[in-house]
Amino acid sequence: MTKKEGSFDKDLVRELAALLDETGLTEIEIEHEGKRVRVARSAAPVVSSYLPDVSGPEMREGSGPRGGRDEFVVHPGTVTSPMVGTAYRSPEPGAPPFVEIGSHVTVGQTLLIIEAMKTMNQIPSPRAGVVVAILVEDSQPVEYGEPLVVIEQG
Amino acid sequence: MFDKVLIANRGEIALRIQRACKELGVATVAVHSTADADAMHVRLADESVCIGAPPAKDSYLNIPQIVAACEITGADAVHPGYGFLAENARFAEILEEHEITFIGPSAEHVRLMGNKIEAKETAKKLGIPVVPGSDGPVSELKRARKLAREIGYPVLVKAAAGGGGRGMKVAHSEQDLEIAFATARAESKAAFGDDTLYLEKFLTKPRHIEVQVLADGLGNAIHLGERDCSLQRRHQKLWEEAPSPALNQSERDAIGATVAKAMQDLRYRGVGTVEFLYENGEFFFIEMNTRLQVEHTVTEMITGLDLVIEQIRIAAGAPLSLRQEDIRFNGHAIECRINAENPRNFRPSPGTITHFHTPGGLGVRVDSGAYAGYTIPPYYDSLIGKLIVHARTRNECLMRLRRALGEFVVDGVETTIPLFSALISEPDIVDGNYDIHWLEKHLADG
Repeated sequence: MTKKEGSFDKDLVRELAALLDETGLTEIEIEHEGKRVRVARSAAPVVSSYLPDVSGPEMREGSGPRGGRDEFVVHPGTVTSPMVGTAYRSPEPGAPPFVEIGSHVTVGQTLLIIEAMKTMNQIPSPRAGVVVAILVEDSQPVEYGEPLVVIEQG
Repeated sequence: MFDKVLIANRGEIALRIQRACKELGVATVAVHSTADADAMHVRLADESVCIGAPPAKDSYLNIPQIVAACEITGADAVHPGYGFLAENARFAEILEEHEITFIGPSAEHVRLMGNKIEAKETAKKLGIPVVPGSDGPVSELKRARKLAREIGYPVLVKAAAGGGGRGMKVAHSEQDLEIAFATARAESKAAFGDDTLYLEKFLTKPRHIEVQVLADGLGNAIHLGERDCSLQRRHQKLWEEAPSPALNQSERDAIGATVAKAMQDLRYRGVGTVEFLYENGEFFFIEMNTRLQVEHTVTEMITGLDLVIEQIRIAAGAPLSLRQEDIRFNGHAIECRINAENPRNFRPSPGTITHFHTPGGLGVRVDSGAYAGYTIPPYYDSLIGKLIVHARTRNECLMRLRRALGEFVVDGVETTIPLFSALISEPDIVDGNYDIHWLEKHLADG
């Protein structure tokens, strides 16, 4: 979901970007004084294939959000949301999350649930591997195609 | 008033609705498919939600996704625009069940007018003129003769099971009727295994004239005059104007009053359009569209009213703020639909727009979501914009249209602009002398 807000802290973004370089991470997200800032960079070879081809009349494939407003890294192990709704990381409030960073998952194992129209939809893992990133917070609204979890073949 | 309106549509109409919301101080949510992530309606909305894959059934027609988008954004109303879910009674009901307002008429009226037979019966009951016919099957020639005399020649003999022109014969006189009746019966039997026939008045050169209504569901309803949409190709309107060059003031007042009265009696709510075929001074009901129409803009130009703002106010529960005597018709307006299509064979021309320059100046309006660098997705309809011109008289309006078409630059894709540039020099167009067959005949002859 994209929400447009007035001003943002450029210095904070610079600081986070520097931190990305320093740590070698691909993404940092912080919440500060009610504002959420996410800084991410892309793994270049993967992203280029999703850029629109402006030279010809061919349409690009509709394969998940892209473009300037979606800062998301497209990683081959990214599991995207199949629906609009609210993501929950655990089966019920207070219960331990389905997965954490570092969890080993098998095909079909529940990663998250997404609530839409009062129904809970389990999001199964499409692959076996290790969870290397969890890109949504508990109770976060998500849109179709939004990256949820990154799983690397383990 | 609503706090936040979700616009369940795309393209120029999504932008059009956003403009009304912004002027009302209402926040907007755009929904979009993955193919429309870069669309102008997404860029200019306060919030946006991607609701699915490019095919409309997975996104713009996907009711659960749209309701979920309302839930996560907290939208308290949905504007359906035109097309997609605008005339889906089930959608209106589902929104109601989720305590979200459908900006439109009641689900019951959407359903009623969506059924051709019920719509015609309802129109008749409400005193709206319909095409005279046999109102049921006619099995004997003798009865057909009597009915045809009452209806008046020419008459159309139609197979009840018919379609695609089969089992359909025109009788211009009583002498023709016997042959028409026998052939239609034989064709119908052969093609559909059913020889049930019925009779209807045949209109040879009708115009398409529609009346815009505005009603509050509380029993108040007014008409906003007519639009002439006779210039069509395969039932697709291409050029619409208001007022109609064919009507005089007393005809306008009479049909407007009939329609307004009918909408009061129906207790209709919102904007709506009652469509007619018009021939020799008579109107015959075709259907009613229970939504905003593409060509609502020409009515806005001559009345000075923002139909979408009125529609949203009514949906929020406000009574009609205008009386019939408050409505003034000022000048003449013409709309041309700019489609990304080949102007001769109308083949869609999706692709990337390299240059985009819209005309301007007094009395010129362009409603469009296109821009230079925009890629027209191949999944949806080809309308990329509407050019609307307004002037004091029809002649001035035509001159202004000619001027505006000359300024319009769309490079990279083919558009219908050259077609309009050619049409504007046709004597029949200049004289307003056309019917629903004119454009197809002109294209075939050209």
